[in-house]
Amino acid sequence: MLAQVLFSGLALGSIYGLVALGFTVVFKATEVFNFAQGMLAVCGAYFAVTAISVFHWPFGVAIVFMAVAAAVLGVLIHILLIQPLAGRSMLAVIMVTIALSIVLRAVIEILYGPQGRSLVTPLPSGVITLGGLRISELHLTAALVSWACMALFAAFFRFTSVGLLMRATADGHEAAVASGVNVNAMNRLAWAIGSLLAAIGGLFLGQLQIVSTDLESIGLLALPAVVIGGLQSIPGAIVGGLLVGLIEQLSASYISPKSTDIVIYALLLLILLVRPWGLFGQRELGRV
Amino acid sequence: MVDALYSKPRIAAPPAPARNRLWRLLGWALALAFLVYLPNVLAHRAAFGVRLTNTELLNLGLTQINLMLIAMLGALSLNYLTGCAGLISIGHAAFYATGAMTAAIVGTQWGWPFPLALAAAAVTGALAGVVAGLPSLRVRGLYFVLSTLAVHHVIVFVFLEYQFRFFDVVGVPFEAPLLGSYELNTPTRWYFFLLPLVAVVYWALRNSLNTREGRAMRAMRDHELAAAAAGVNVRILRLKAFAFSSAIASMAGALLAYFMSNVTSEAFGLDFAIQFIAMIIIGGLGSLGGSLVGAAIWLLLPSILSGLAPQGGDASGWMGALLVDHKPQLVQAIFGLLIILLLIFAPGGVAGLGQKLKALFSSRGAR
Repeated sequence: MLAQVLFSGLALGSIYGLVALGFTVVFKATEVFNFAQGMLAVCGAYFAVTAISVFHWPFGVAIVFMAVAAAVLGVLIHILLIQPLAGRSMLAVIMVTIALSIVLRAVIEILYGPQGRSLVTPLPSGVITLGGLRISELHLTAALVSWACMALFAAFFRFTSVGLLMRATADGHEAAVASGVNVNAMNRLAWAIGSLLAAIGGLFLGQLQIVSTDLESIGLLALPAVVIGGLQSIPGAIVGGLLVGLIEQLSASYISPKSTDIVIYALLLLILLVRPWGLFGQRELGRV
Repeated sequence: MVDALYSKPRIAAPPAPARNRLWRLLGWALALAFLVYLPNVLAHRAAFGVRLTNTELLNLGLTQINLMLIAMLGALSLNYLTGCAGLISIGHAAFYATGAMTAAIVGTQWGWPFPLALAAAAVTGALAGVVAGLPSLRVRGLYFVLSTLAVHHVIVFVFLEYQFRFFDVVGVPFEAPLLGSYELNTPTRWYFFLLPLVAVVYWALRNSLNTREGRAMRAMRDHELAAAAAGVNVRILRLKAFAFSSAIASMAGALLAYFMSNVTSEAFGLDFAIQFIAMIIIGGLGSLGGSLVGAAIWLLLPSILSGLAPQGGDASGWMGALLVDHKPQLVQAIFGLLIILLLIFAPGGVAGLGQKLKALFSSRGAR
């Protein structure tokens, strides 16, 4: 029983970690606390639905379509909404992401109707029995793909020159501008990556459940995940995601299914009171 | 040159006071007459004996007006907290829930009279506000916003547990409230109870902003360190602002519960909290009058839009079909776009636009 719960917690946590990673990439680059991250995951799921159920494209093409569409959406959000608000108050930026998720939800529900849709993909969906442990192949695939994506992007940031420029931009806009980095292009790239990672997470969430706009609340679990892990920290986002997944599954099976939110947010409150910079974040120093 | 400068002062000179005061009095009297006559028009669907169609009345009913008045209390209290004290809260729905729960315990379960239940809701709301404001002693900015989000989830969970322990899925019932022997059982009676209440709350908040503490609060919003250096006890002031604001929100929650006569925990979701932020952004941050306008737009626009639906249907375009089939989604999309456009092009909201317009006209007049 415990092993079963731990496995599904880790598998779901990997997806949350992926969505949270996208959130952190955006936050590090543009300091935007993106409340639309959950809705971006939903958009990814609906891009996949569009390609597979509406256009009947093969799975590979559909995935490419989803990735490109999600990246374009991210870039558009940065150009149309985030750039005009540069230098404005935190509330304005937070509220524009909330308004964005309201608009996206409305548009999706107008186009596809408010009821959910099932997503049929050739991904394995059977069950492997290993000892007493029943492992859903879909959970396993989701976890593996999430880890592959995380490794890929970690390598991208660590080893490529564009990744280096992105890290430089995140460290300090002025210094990056002075060294001749095109900061706007880097920020757009960050939004594209953030949206893409959310979309991949949304694809799996939509497969594990049903694709509907209610997936947003699951995608929004990335918020406590990043804060628990530490807002500025990329490993923190992944560990935070795993923790949130584990806590969710443990509290759902040992306390009550209704209690998952409260346990996660109580932990968030505790972290904020005791260690506001999160498990892996760096303590911010106040300056006058 | 010098003469021209002196004869036309840049700063508007104090105009003839007596005449101005007369005009202002007349304006107030007209507004009061309108507000007193309004429920009559909406209840009988006629003005001065002339029958009005639904479209002419913008498809509005008195129930929407009453809900708007209750929402105005929430918008006022949030604008006081966010716009005037500079504390962002996305947990304002939680204080509504606190008020509704308090009213359920002392009103529905213990049978206390309505005014006492309202007072109790205000007190527990203030207490909950102090507790929710406690993280502000340690964290600020974004982290504080997140702590209000966490508090929201905790309080709504408590409400959910309470609802299922003592009632059931249907929700918590509330009896029609009695004010002495005056039973609030018709929309018109509710209207004449809520309207003065909103006016009193507005007036109280407005005056409190001009006291010593109100000025200190605005100084704290603009520059916390400077305010602290000038001798403002920033921590205590934050908690006070939180307590005051959440007491009003909690009272509004109790009023909403009595008005709806049945409340479930789902009513106080995150969407409910976000709508208040939307109202004060539409109305204008830091402008109490703006919060009234924002609440009015948020609550009345949906029914005005649906009033347009039949005409759109006659036009038989895709717009008409959209209005008929997807009204709630369309309203949401319009609100979302409105917020985005206001944030980008008019950061001051409706109040800011009004001031710009005023400045435009007064500079014309002076030139």
